[in-house]
Amino acid sequence: MHLRVENVTKTFSRNGSSNTVLDRVNFSVHTSEFVSLLGPSGCGKTTLLTILAGFQQATSGRIVLNGAAVSRPCPDRGFVFQDYALFPWMTVRENILFPMKERKIPKKEREERLAALLAMAQLEGKERLYPSQISGGMKQRTAFIRALAGGPQVLLMDEPLGAVDHQMRQTLQEELENLWLKDKITVVMVTHDVDEAIYLSDRVIVMSARKGRIVADVNVDLERPRARTGQKYHAFKDALTGHLKAAFNEGLAAS
Amino acid sequence: MAAWHYQSDLLLPGPLKVVQAFGLAMVDPDTLYNLGLTLRRVLLGLAIALSLGMSLGFAMGYSKTVMQLVDPVINPLRQVPIMAWVPLTIVWFGLGDGPTLFLIAMVGVFPILLSTVSGVQSINRDYYNAGRSMGAGFWSLFRRIIIPASLPEILTGMRVAVSAGWMSVI
Ligand SMILES: Nc1ncnc2c1ncn2[C@@H]1O[C@H](COP(=O)(O)OP(=O)(O)OP(=O)(O)O)[C@@H](O)[C@H]1O
Ligand SMILES: [Mg+2]
Repeated sequence: MHLRVENVTKTFSRNGSSNTVLDRVNFSVHTSEFVSLLGPSGCGKTTLLTILAGFQQATSGRIVLNGAAVSRPCPDRGFVFQDYALFPWMTVRENILFPMKERKIPKKEREERLAALLAMAQLEGKERLYPSQISGGMKQRTAFIRALAGGPQVLLMDEPLGAVDHQMRQTLQEELENLWLKDKITVVMVTHDVDEAIYLSDRVIVMSARKGRIVADVNVDLERPRARTGQKYHAFKDALTGHLKAAFNEGLAAS
Repeated sequence: MAAWHYQSDLLLPGPLKVVQAFGLAMVDPDTLYNLGLTLRRVLLGLAIALSLGMSLGFAMGYSKTVMQLVDPVINPLRQVPIMAWVPLTIVWFGLGDGPTLFLIAMVGVFPILLSTVSGVQSINRDYYNAGRSMGAGFWSLFRRIIIPASLPEILTGMRVAVSAGWMSVI
């Protein structure tokens, strides 16, 4: 797997005035890497991620996956939405089966995969429940394995833990790390939380509020599973907090 | 409508009279036959309203182009008072079942159309994107996302259509 963002520019135009949110953004993501896009609110993280997913198109530049340009949504790129977007009229089971049915995976194989995914996410016994009947953590796990079920090459996640309180967020980060360690799929995750980025990522890309310019690209070589303690952990935290601050100020200077 | 000729001697029959008449009507084969006829007309009219309202509603709710094309035609039609159609329908369909069916379909189609349009328009965009990124094509999106997501609102429209349709045959 190799994913490349090549000179991606996005300009929104509305009644004569135009707003360039991303200006020639470039970076690559390698197999099994967990990459976070970190940046202040409004810097274009979601815009970039949805361009990667094909939900919207770049004004110029392109997304290259395994040597081929991609511009439409496709199961080779799974997506986890901020509020999960589980289908409320389907049970947990039907939600997870959705991508497998669309990909015409034979029934027997579907059921085997479903069982494996449910076991991985510790959701056995919950498969007949509807999304409204399960906890936030279970929803998050369901969304994660639903996105995995179609067999994507890369998983795109937009603040998958954005909608919960601090304590819950840390717990979910641990669950997410656990899940990811079981299936080291390539991940690009959007976040604006420094701690979350360090805790989960192999690499953190810091984007500035000025046209999404990349201000830092940091390798986080901490051991896994991770703990939020230790000198090295705090050194990363200080460094990234500094980068994020610079990214924020760049936006202020530009506006 | 079925019990009408039993009470025509009075402009406003007392409650006892009504109950009596109702009891008589319920055992009168002629009335039951008429009731059956009315029921059939209502159901048929509603079926027409449903298929027309839903298919047009899905298209208008999903596609802005269809909306812009069809809405200018639909909106004025909706403003026409239902009784204004009566003479026209008699000219078009004669005196048989035609006018009644047309009127029932006409009063039923708008609540169904409007609720379908608003049901489809209020679908969370993320559901479409989620579906597409999981490999769903147009028909799959329609069958597995658009229909179930908008069904609760369509059912509300259907309830309005049923009562409106039933009222209009009287
Ligand atoms: N469809 C759109 N039309 C016009 N402007 C848009 C549109 N989508 C996003 N923008 C603008 O692009 C900029 C970046 O938005 P985006 O949602 O990508 O930011 P973000 O980094 O995800 O922010 P947050 O952390 O708050 O989610 C914002 O200024 C926003 O107003
Ligand atoms: Mg965002």
